Amino acid sequence: MNFEAIIGLEIHVQMKTKSKMFSSSPNSFSREPNTEVTPFDMAYPGTMPRVNKQAVINAIRVANALHMTIDHTLYFDRKNYFYSDLPKGFQITQQRRPIGSNGYVDILDKDGNVKRIRIERIHMEEDTCKQLHLSDCSLLDYNRAGTPLVEIVSLPDIRSGTEAMHYVEAIRNIVVYSLTSDGKMEEGSLRCDVNVSLRPFGQEAFGTKVEIKNLNSIKNIEQALDYEIARQSACLLTGTPVQQETRRFDEASGKTVLMRVKTDAVDYKYFCEPNIAPIALSDEFVQNAIDTCPELYDAKKARYLKAGLSDTDASIILSDLSMALYFEKALAGAKSAKTVANFLIVEVNSYLNKNGIGIASFPMEAETLKDICNLQEDGFTHKQAMQVFSYVLEHGGSAEEARKALKLEKQSNDEGAVLSFVTQVLDANPQSIADFKAGKDRAIGFLVGQVMKLSKGKVNPAAVSKTLQEEIKKR
Amino acid sequence: MKEITMDVLKDAAHRLLFTMSEKEYETLLEEFGILARQMEKIGEIQGLESYEPMTFPFPCENSFLREDVPSAPLNRDEALANAGSKEDGQIKLPKVVG
Amino acid sequence: MSYLDCGIVAIHEALVAKKTTPLELAKEALARAKASQDNAFEKILEKEALEFASTLIEPEADNLLWGIPFVAKDNFSTKGIETTASSNVLNGYVPLFDATVIAKLKAAKCVLIGKSTMDELAMGGTGTTGHKGITYNPYDPTHTRMIGGSSCGSAAAVASGIVPFALGSDTGDSVRKPASFGGLVGMKPTWGRVSRYGLFPFAPSLDHVGFFTRSVEDSAILLNALSGRDDMDFTSSFKPVEDYTGDLKAPLKGKKIAVLKEIVDSISDEHLLGLFASSVEKMKQEGAVVEKISFGMDLLQSVYATYIVISCAEATSNDANLDGIKFGPFYGGKTYQEVMFNARTKGFSELIKRRFVIGSFALMRENQEDLFLRAQRNRAKIVERVNQILSDYDFIFVPAAPSIASRLDGASDKLSNEYLIADNHLALGNFAGLPSLTLPLGMENGLPLGINFMGRAFAEKELYGVAKRFEEITGLEGLSTVNEKEGNL
Repeated sequence: MNFEAIIGLEIHVQMKTKSKMFSSSPNSFSREPNTEVTPFDMAYPGTMPRVNKQAVINAIRVANALHMTIDHTLYFDRKNYFYSDLPKGFQITQQRRPIGSNGYVDILDKDGNVKRIRIERIHMEEDTCKQLHLSDCSLLDYNRAGTPLVEIVSLPDIRSGTEAMHYVEAIRNIVVYSLTSDGKMEEGSLRCDVNVSLRPFGQEAFGTKVEIKNLNSIKNIEQALDYEIARQSACLLTGTPVQQETRRFDEASGKTVLMRVKTDAVDYKYFCEPNIAPIALSDEFVQNAIDTCPELYDAKKARYLKAGLSDTDASIILSDLSMALYFEKALAGAKSAKTVANFLIVEVNSYLNKNGIGIASFPMEAETLKDICNLQEDGFTHKQAMQVFSYVLEHGGSAEEARKALKLEKQSNDEGAVLSFVTQVLDANPQSIADFKAGKDRAIGFLVGQVMKLSKGKVNPAAVSKTLQEEIKKR
Repeated sequence: MKEITMDVLKDAAHRLLFTMSEKEYETLLEEFGILARQMEKIGEIQGLESYEPMTFPFPCENSFLREDVPSAPLNRDEALANAGSKEDGQIKLPKVVG
Repeated sequence: MSYLDCGIVAIHEALVAKKTTPLELAKEALARAKASQDNAFEKILEKEALEFASTLIEPEADNLLWGIPFVAKDNFSTKGIETTASSNVLNGYVPLFDATVIAKLKAAKCVLIGKSTMDELAMGGTGTTGHKGITYNPYDPTHTRMIGGSSCGSAAAVASGIVPFALGSDTGDSVRKPASFGGLVGMKPTWGRVSRYGLFPFAPSLDHVGFFTRSVEDSAILLNALSGRDDMDFTSSFKPVEDYTGDLKAPLKGKKIAVLKEIVDSISDEHLLGLFASSVEKMKQEGAVVEKISFGMDLLQSVYATYIVISCAEATSNDANLDGIKFGPFYGGKTYQEVMFNARTKGFSELIKRRFVIGSFALMRENQEDLFLRAQRNRAKIVERVNQILSDYDFIFVPAAPSIASRLDGASDKLSNEYLIADNHLALGNFAGLPSLTLPLGMENGLPLGINFMGRAFAEKELYGVAKRFEEITGLEGLSTVNEKEGNL
């Protein structure tokens, strides 16, 4: 029997605001424990929540990118439960009135067709504190307590691991390009909980749902789901009921393993947070948050394609926000977007890889890279441009300074000049003409070399080669 | 509403992470009886459903949001000064499992 | 008569004229505090108070509160000073910041001489449930009658002349009931008028900062100092503040006052009823329109259950932070749950635990509609009725309590089967968030009786106006055990 996988995702995104969701503690993800804490984050009695404006703006931008209805009045709720990482004994969230509801995002399914995934809600909440589990104890670091989160909850429209992966990529692109979050699954700034159940094709009722946690890369999502779907299929085919449980993905084995069997759903005893009076967002505020949203992934990509980049090149550049931002800086005044892209993807990336650094630490100004690319557009050879590139990386300074230092001259395409050099060389080398006519193609190379030598490299070798071939036939 | 028994109350107390003496559970059971009757009576009054549950005593909507400007954090020793169990600048608990 | 027994304006004049000094006042207040037999203090801050008072040398003529000693209930966060809310769960807790009202009074150079006792975590009305035991009524040296709570220590401190004013908090009637039992002016301004930042929450939707004074004028001076928008409290109002002392000479003529019939009818104390009736007559003689109206018996009878459900539900959540991990006594345990379990089981008294279970049960998914949401709906209905009355009348006027202070031997914080509507009606002011002020009506067997005026939201100025005139009618301005004994009134 064949089964259909029903998959829904809950994604928690940590926002990279300057301060926390409800307190003015710095939110710079310090590694030194308990150094980014104010009394609210440790639930000191009498402290009160104070909603971060930027977090609201970010949530509006993400909600808008996901085509959601935006609630213009903010209410918050308390989600009550006890846990060692929850300082207040409750989390402030938006249960009853999420800031965004009823949206969607379009992704590609595994056949490359566009598929719409509906999104139920997006709401703001606060992160818990971080626990470091040692062999005999756990240590609590409150730096993360109160970090702003947006939670994005999809409807169960996803049908395969590949779709789930594409869905998370789409969400990540939105939160990264709206400058809401770093969106790094590896570092926990984007966290996915996946719910998956199987049912026979054609059946309407859902099967038993299993939750998968601990997915810390996009690739893992696909792997974990592929495994889990196969596991559940096997269960169903052998008549073993699927248990309602929480599993985690084990990266080493590529399998999902049981964490805990779910008993009754936890009762979070939600109620409206009485310490935050309702906050009315004016139409103007909401519109302004949307209008000032940084250009998103899809818009950038469309722009890059229009500027002449291939789909692959555009995707490579956009896979890293800093790379894209660098590219755009270099693009200003560049004569060919494609040349800039090529330089970036090949030469710059190779430098970065060799030195083990990111684009943020790349020592060359984007404007300098643009100038180097423009040299190539202006008739210098790629080889010459590369010489400038290397020189600047080694010595600093501008492209023009490097060119002068290297004494590079533009090679001429001027037909008269080329012809004059070619004629002189042909006149001086009758033997080579004879060799060529006798079928020795190599002779052309020798002749081009002679022309280049005679011209001191000032003519374009391609033009020389072309003219040589034409002239030699006339003799 | 869930029926109120000693066991239900004990379970509720345990979920709140404390326990009480047997005598207190009895008092509580008695109090619950009174409260449940009074709340039931309130529910019998016609038209109550037409009222929205009230959290804020009067309309107090405003549009204030805190600017995203960080303030100086507590110094770490100060932040942890009141904690009874700590180690290496962190609060120390028995190993948390699950 | 000591300057300490005067009103704030008179003390201020004496300070400006250098007839006394903040240090002298602080010393006397501390001496009285130490001599007091009422168990009003969690902590007497002798060292801190004397230190601060000695820095106050040059009087500030434009600052009425300069150098005035005061007391704060032990649920206001005070930086560097242990604050326990009279609960063992917070023993040894030293806050890292000042509550906004504490900071404002510090900035005004008031001298904090002590943190006062209270019912544990402010969840009680008898002044008997704090971890330091019973706080007594200064008017009853035999210690048989309560001062009432939860702001018991603050009420006792002002009533016994230790300080001219004290901070309290009021979630159901925790300032206004003890004010009645202690012959004081007890004010609870509009919800949002005074910042709650740094007040340990009991039930935020009902919590208010309040204060005790011995006169209406002092109360208005205090509100001037404490009110105003605070960005640290997202429920703090943006409504501009006024000069609340400005209407103290307002005539009663034309004022419309509603007396709640069911409350008065439920009271059996003839002496109280007599004093109440004659005060109504006097207000009428001055041209006020005073009418007895019916509130609705069903609604009044529903007040207490509604209050218990809402306040306990919010409290169980607010106090979930009290787990012995970040602050408060740590008792250890094999698991983190055990650590929390030990701290909470040992830290909370049984009354508090019962309230938490009630609150938690009311919030459970399967009970929420029948308990918590029903209580919230009923609150809306009650508030609608209050506001209906206040659309026709300027004030609601009632006895603050059905009698003088109750006997301690009959005191109980157990839920009662009886509908004690005249004991519970002050919560109307918390439900609706309206300004509500208790002040003395008279004496009975040496113990004070109080009345209560409630006004429209943010109409504190008008409320002080009517209260001031009422104070003139009773002649009880400045009432304290000292002033009573010395005949200073």
